[in-house]
Amino acid sequence: MTQALFEIDRLSGGYGSGLVVRDVSLAVGRGEAVCLLGRNGVGKSTLVKLACGVLRPAGGTVTIAGREITGRPPSDNLGAGLTYCPQERVVFDDLTVAENLTLMRDNRRLDAFDRFFEVFPRLSERRRQHAGTLSGGEKKLLSFVRGLAEGANMVVIDEPTEGVQFENVVRMADLIQSHKQAGMSFLVVEQNLTLVERVADRIVIMDHGDVVHSGAAADMARDEILSYLTV
Amino acid sequence: MESLVVTQAINVAYEVLILAALVLGLAVVMGLLNVLNIAHGEFVMLGSYTAYLVQKAGLPYLAAVPAAAVVCGAIGVVVERFLIRPLRYDPFETLLATWGLGLLLRKLVELGFGRGYRSVDIPISGSINIFGEAYPTYRLVLMVVSAVVLVALFVWYLRAPTGARIRAMVGNPVLAEAVGIRTRQLARNTFVAGTAWAGVAGVMIAPLTPVEPFMGLTLIVNSFFALVVGGMGTVTGLFAGSAIIGGLQSVLTAAVSPTTAYLAMLVLSILFLWQRPRGLFPRP
Amino acid sequence: MASFLVRNGLILVVLVLVPVFVGEFWAYQLGLYFLYALAAMGVGLAWGQAGILPLGQGMFVALAAYLAAYGLLGFGSSPLAYLIIPAACIAVALFGFAFAVTIFRGRSEQGPSFSLITLALTLAAFQVATTWSSVTGGFNGLRNISGLPGLDGFLDLYYLIAVVLALAIAAVDYLVRAPIGALWRAVADNERRLAFLGYDVAALKAAAFAVACGLAGLAGALYAPQQNLVTPDLAGFAFSGDLVIFAAAGGRTAVLGPAIGAIVVGALSAELRDRFPWWEIVIALFFIVVVLRLPAGLMTLFARLKRLSIARSPAPRPSRAPDKPRIAAPLSVAFDEVRVRMGDVTILDGLSVRTGDEAVLCVIGPNGAGKTSALNVMTGALPKRGGRIVIDGVDVPRPRPAAVARSGVGRKFQTPSVFQKLTIDENLAIALWAGRWRGLDLLRPSLFGWTTPLLDEMRRRFGFLRSGAKPASDLSHGERQILELTMALVTEPRLLLLDEPCAGLSHEETAAVIDAIQWARHELNLRIIIIEHDMELVRRLADRVVVLHQGRFLADGSVEEVQGNPDVRAVYVGGSR
Repeated sequence: MTQALFEIDRLSGGYGSGLVVRDVSLAVGRGEAVCLLGRNGVGKSTLVKLACGVLRPAGGTVTIAGREITGRPPSDNLGAGLTYCPQERVVFDDLTVAENLTLMRDNRRLDAFDRFFEVFPRLSERRRQHAGTLSGGEKKLLSFVRGLAEGANMVVIDEPTEGVQFENVVRMADLIQSHKQAGMSFLVVEQNLTLVERVADRIVIMDHGDVVHSGAAADMARDEILSYLTV
Repeated sequence: MESLVVTQAINVAYEVLILAALVLGLAVVMGLLNVLNIAHGEFVMLGSYTAYLVQKAGLPYLAAVPAAAVVCGAIGVVVERFLIRPLRYDPFETLLATWGLGLLLRKLVELGFGRGYRSVDIPISGSINIFGEAYPTYRLVLMVVSAVVLVALFVWYLRAPTGARIRAMVGNPVLAEAVGIRTRQLARNTFVAGTAWAGVAGVMIAPLTPVEPFMGLTLIVNSFFALVVGGMGTVTGLFAGSAIIGGLQSVLTAAVSPTTAYLAMLVLSILFLWQRPRGLFPRP
Repeated sequence: MASFLVRNGLILVVLVLVPVFVGEFWAYQLGLYFLYALAAMGVGLAWGQAGILPLGQGMFVALAAYLAAYGLLGFGSSPLAYLIIPAACIAVALFGFAFAVTIFRGRSEQGPSFSLITLALTLAAFQVATTWSSVTGGFNGLRNISGLPGLDGFLDLYYLIAVVLALAIAAVDYLVRAPIGALWRAVADNERRLAFLGYDVAALKAAAFAVACGLAGLAGALYAPQQNLVTPDLAGFAFSGDLVIFAAAGGRTAVLGPAIGAIVVGALSAELRDRFPWWEIVIALFFIVVVLRLPAGLMTLFARLKRLSIARSPAPRPSRAPDKPRIAAPLSVAFDEVRVRMGDVTILDGLSVRTGDEAVLCVIGPNGAGKTSALNVMTGALPKRGGRIVIDGVDVPRPRPAAVARSGVGRKFQTPSVFQKLTIDENLAIALWAGRWRGLDLLRPSLFGWTTPLLDEMRRRFGFLRSGAKPASDLSHGERQILELTMALVTEPRLLLLDEPCAGLSHEETAAVIDAIQWARHELNLRIIIIEHDMELVRRLADRVVVLHQGRFLADGSVEEVQGNPDVRAVYVGGSR
């Protein structure tokens, strides 16, 4: 592994007093994509929420480019070079598709998004609609585009392909690959092997709030991954 | 006859614009942040008392505008920090808390100034002839100021990203934080902007109304129900609600009696709360 | 029962002895605050129990006061004048019920809407009262109203009011402990769950409001002879606001809270308002503190005492619940070209599917296939835009949650939906009463002892259900899932809808739940529709599997048939997971 860009060190936490994630460590290198896998309810989403400051960790640290961001409000993340795309409530339903994309920009021009609109023409067609009227899969695409376009070095995405059609999953994978080559790093929580197999450099598997396997994607056969995912 | 119609029309326009100016602050706090600030009328009242003090001190009347904004804004900061934020901006809980706040502010002012009416001199005297009818200049100035402020704000809200960010924050606070919106500050600033503007509105109306500790109660009723009828969180709703409630009040007052006007407004509001609680033009 | 009598007997004795200690004049003064206490108790009951805050109770006090004033004028010294008091109370309560049921009917949202309507109504009432002077006496009100016949001096009326207050406290005390009290707290906690058990939520809420109005009516009816004067001020905003402040300051959740609030705050205010100008500021600040962090108000002071005195009455003796009139045949459902849209998104796109001979039907499909939406549209939680839904052979154009539940459909939601603030026993009891209570049953505390063989069996299978005094909020996620499943089962439905019943359960819990479902299906001869992702569970339970995809029917058959179906495989490999 090259020098790590994003490091999670012995992170613990959960909701209320219950610990869902216990002492999890994980690192993502520059230009690397790490896929976080596991069955429903093993603490994957909780881990990324803790890492991105949405939940307050009970212990451990998170650093990006050597700078500790543990316990900082999530609104500081972008300044530190970290983007987070949540699993649920992924877009602003009350805002139009265009507003969702340009919300944090100085102007409302959509030029910067042309390259994404070419890949996902559906979003361009619906840019004047309220995002709340999009289907679940379309919302995921919008959230994905928003995350990539923010231009942070580190992108954390929770289940980007939920409800997304096969062709678009492939296109998402292609976009991740091209952004990796430009130096972006990814931590992707995923259940869809179509995406995992196309983008993952390393695979981390969680169970019961703990990492149970971690290794290069090339070293893992599909059956081995599946053995962790099905009961 | 013709001139009577013109005067009436100007009166209706005046009522509507003044109501819209009064509703504006509440529309920000209630329409955007979902905080049912029942004490909003008391902020207007504090603005009027500030105007009274400024005038009494011999300062130019315009100085009351920043003074009221600062006074009401500062109280807004305290209220946000110790009342609204701890209640997580919940509509129902803030309704109760600001009910208590209204009581508190009324009593504090009563303690300081007594129950009696204070009158504020009209800063711009004289009148202007419109189609042969004399109309007080100050009222016309108020109408223009109110219209300009509303239009300016409307344009700003549609163009500047802050409006969209406020909507984003209200609709999905977690994601708003994730995309870099400092939701705490934004919510506080929005709330304070609403209370500060209420103070300015208080300065505007002070010369035309008896200034007393309980003046906020009637103001809040009209403003509140204008929003209920118009719909929360949209500029169209603000205008529509002010036009309907203000227009209805003004026309019925002139044609029948103030009591009928007031009752008609209440009945209309009850019908809306019952059958269409989100108003005519709610946020989608 | 014994503790109930002791407690309320004690309150009566205290109230009757008050004049001995404070003297006649003060007793007379206190009488007025006792009337406020009556009205404030109504606010407390509606707000603290059922979660509906009335902001305009003054209007009901005023209404009853005017009714009583005219009654007293009419009857003169005839003993019939006493009938005025119950008559005004009942008239106002009925009016309140009719008003509330009209507003609540057909809407389930819990917002400030109702409170604001009551506020607008009282503002209107005040305006009408001040204008309509030929009837109300205008600003000055009706003066020189005669007292009640045969009551001379200050003390006689005090005793009457004290007895009425003691009886009202006892009545409220009884109600909040009766089944209807549990249902009111359930309304405040989770309206949707209650509707899906088949309860008429609008009527329950209106009943709470009616009791509140009845108490306001009692206060108003006694106000007229007590003050010999009725003015429109009673309907004013300020008085209604005071009642809310009394209830909040005293403690809205406790029976005695609002009464203590009215007496303490009311009497102290009258005494201190003029001498100590800061007094009302203190009250306003205290009210704010109550809203911020002291929901129990002054009753917080008595919390320890309360644990001593009103210790929960011993659990009622278990008794067999009456059998539910039930057709012992499973209920059938057919969807015919059903369409559901939300904005621009098509959720169900002409879904046609029907139940057949199978007992357990498992519905699978990728996320967004419309599985949960299908259950929602059938139970009336989602409006349909087209097509037909036929339940038990009857075309139901607009399903309503409570009506569907009463026709024999039980539902367990995806995320466990129980009454968090209620105990396990209360949760189970409410489910058990659904469809079994008749007439005045909801006033009989013995209903808490009801049980059925099915409930006994579930308690035997899942030990945590036996620690019934524990609040449901203390349960783990898995236990809440099982509690909700049990609640759905004890209604003995003919069709049970289970949305991911084993999500978040451990292996052992999953196995136990599968076992229980197997047992219940034979015991009750019911049909079960299960939405599930866990294929292991599907294999164990399903007689037939239906696959949905993008809001449409894709395939059905046995587990093996579905797994072998190339269309299904294409959807699963390509789509999510």
